[in-house]
Amino acid sequence: MTWREAIREVLASGPGKAGLALFALLLAISIYVLVAYPLDFGPRRWSNPAVWADNPKAVPPAWTNWFSATRHVPHTTWAASQPGVVLPNHNGPGETRQYHFSAKFAYDEAPTFLSFSLGKVLYHTRPPVVSVEMIRPDGEYVLLYREQVRGPRPGEEAPYVRYQDTPLRVLLSQQPLAASEMARMLQSRYGVEVAESRLLAGGLKEALFGEPSKAQADAFQPLRGTYTARVEVAVADPQDQVGEVKFVMGGTVYGLMGTDTLGRDLREGLLFGFPIGLAIAIVASILTTVIGASLGIISGYTGGRTDLIIQRVADIVSNVPVLPLLIFLVFILGSNLFIIILLLVAFSWPGLTILLRSMVLQVRSGQLVEAAIAMGASRWRIMYRHVFPTTAPFVLAQMIFFAPSAILAEAALSFLGLGDPSLPTWGQILEAGFRTGAIYVGYWWWIVPPGVLIVVTAMAFMFLALATEPVVNPRLRRMT
Amino acid sequence: MTPLLEVRDLRLHYATPRGTVRAVDGVSFEVKHKGEAVGLVGESGSGKTSMALALLRLLPKNTSRYEGVVRLQDTDLMALSDEEFRRQIRWKRISMVFQGAMNALNPVIKVGQQVAEPLLLDRSVRKADAYREAEGLLEMVGLPKEVFHRYAHELSGGMKQRVVIAMALVLKPELVILDEPTSALDVSVQAQIMNLLKRLKRDPGISMLFITHDIALASDLCDEIMVSYAGEQVEWGTAEQVLLTPRHPYTQRLLASIPRLHSPEQPLFLPGQPPDLAAPPPGCRFHPRCPYAFNPCDKESPPPFATPEGQRARCWLLDAGRALHPRNDT
Repeated sequence: MTWREAIREVLASGPGKAGLALFALLLAISIYVLVAYPLDFGPRRWSNPAVWADNPKAVPPAWTNWFSATRHVPHTTWAASQPGVVLPNHNGPGETRQYHFSAKFAYDEAPTFLSFSLGKVLYHTRPPVVSVEMIRPDGEYVLLYREQVRGPRPGEEAPYVRYQDTPLRVLLSQQPLAASEMARMLQSRYGVEVAESRLLAGGLKEALFGEPSKAQADAFQPLRGTYTARVEVAVADPQDQVGEVKFVMGGTVYGLMGTDTLGRDLREGLLFGFPIGLAIAIVASILTTVIGASLGIISGYTGGRTDLIIQRVADIVSNVPVLPLLIFLVFILGSNLFIIILLLVAFSWPGLTILLRSMVLQVRSGQLVEAAIAMGASRWRIMYRHVFPTTAPFVLAQMIFFAPSAILAEAALSFLGLGDPSLPTWGQILEAGFRTGAIYVGYWWWIVPPGVLIVVTAMAFMFLALATEPVVNPRLRRMT
Repeated sequence: MTPLLEVRDLRLHYATPRGTVRAVDGVSFEVKHKGEAVGLVGESGSGKTSMALALLRLLPKNTSRYEGVVRLQDTDLMALSDEEFRRQIRWKRISMVFQGAMNALNPVIKVGQQVAEPLLLDRSVRKADAYREAEGLLEMVGLPKEVFHRYAHELSGGMKQRVVIAMALVLKPELVILDEPTSALDVSVQAQIMNLLKRLKRDPGISMLFITHDIALASDLCDEIMVSYAGEQVEWGTAEQVLLTPRHPYTQRLLASIPRLHSPEQPLFLPGQPPDLAAPPPGCRFHPRCPYAFNPCDKESPPPFATPEGQRARCWLLDAGRALHPRNDT
């Protein structure tokens, strides 16, 4: 049977089609991820809380809105590097730059937070004054923030640079000024008395995006309409510069896959799990197969003391309880992905070795091998040229078959908290969800997708292994 | 003139749990010149295949005794180390056609590549040259060119046998050992293969040691015939001498057992079993089955006696000093 026939045979079966399609999909996604994301994604983004600061914590995916009666607030970010309006100063050389961010708000609940950030400020004489106001649909203006950029330090010379690397980030929904302004507004417009402390404790979002509820005292109902956030930067010198201004309305739903309790976009973590999962599967299965098959062939063909030693070692290794030992070794050697793969390989080769040895014993006693010896072929040549090819299809099937178990083993280790912390894998995402109690609080979007992806990847390889069976079996029969 | 192959007193014994099995016990013969075929005829279990293995030094693990003189042209084969033997002799100077050609071919390598393989073991030969040579050989053994790209399981038994013969010839060895090359084939294919062998013997003049259980086949091809029984050669000489005037009772019986196409004569069979090689009978090994056995037969092993026709046979009947009518003696 040639390779082309073998591929045709694989494609002829249902599992073969499904397996190849799934595998192609996994491969395509992995390649996309490797191209689109930096390789140090783990330490630089995934494990870096600063990256995820502006994300809502533990919110479900945005598409849950389609199935939900309440309309959730999608996560929205505005950014501007140029002011929308510039007003000259009446009594001086300066000017006021205004940035407007408006949104039509038609949701059944308040956003999870409001934040604003300001990057790269450069001023020459007096520090600029930054203020943020919310213009509500009912025409009220609520001042949320007013602060002067930090002045010159002793010995510092103009121009002064502020927020160069780390932008100024303000959580507006927790500003005391905002709370007192809000309380005053509620008092003057609605005649409602609300304690500032209550607003600061989290009520500010509901108050800002709502009006006092008519049905229920002391509560707010959402006020629909257009909200505009106006950010003003008053500079004393027209040459002063302001970098990017960003305004974030924290959603109650986020993106394609939701976020975890650190605000991490699960979509990115899950995506990055693809190449890592495939790498584990492929590297571990290739290494295991190469080691297992070589030792099996050497053991079966050479016989004698070599055979005895290899087989006894294989017996011992295959009977050692693997998981406790893996946990122990990972604990000692450190949880580096490569070490984890090596450990998996170190404990998985014996099965193939024992199996192949018995097959090789059969081949060895055949005339084929005797003829090859008579031809003056060396041991090694007989092993790789005559013995190995007769077992090759079986070895290949075993290799594919081993891949899912490698994925599952890595997931199991990660789930026990022994994964490589620098690389997000599906097992680790599961573990993080489990550790933070997501499973009890009902954060299904955090638990289900990594689990499903582990299963799907394992299944892709399972299908392929199933499909190679008709290719492998007749050959095995012919060999005997 | 030195003979092409000289074998003196070759012994190959195996150690088994039941004792020593004397599979080859003191065999001597010569292949005198290029293009000569020597036939080794005997029953199953008479040590024919062991003889071939001994010549190629393909010794099983339980070999207990392996000695004698084997000389190929001027080379003393017994003096070579295993590694030297593998590198210098196997297939380069002595090659072999195995009993079950079907199983001697690798099922996953193309036939042509297998024929060329011995050439490629020598790294100085280029692949293209080796393949061209293999194609030529396949043609020489009467196979169409396209067989080169086939796998073994796509060929018939006769074709596989031809491939195996081509493989044996690829390094132009001085001697080819043919171990029952036709026993797995049906009669018509057998005839084709025999014709092929006869042709190869004439041109390019290949020397052969032809091992068979079928004395009729041996008579078709061989110049010299050696009949072996229980690990010993019992009668040897030119084909004419052995076939026309057999002197050893075993040879006589063997010839009488050939069925004849146009004669009412029933073929005779040999009563009894071939002896257990682990415990051969004392004296002449054939005596329990010999119709002419008389007093020295069960005591002393007969030395080779020259017959009036010129061949040699191990039988006390030929001892001039003994009575010529053994029946009266017993």
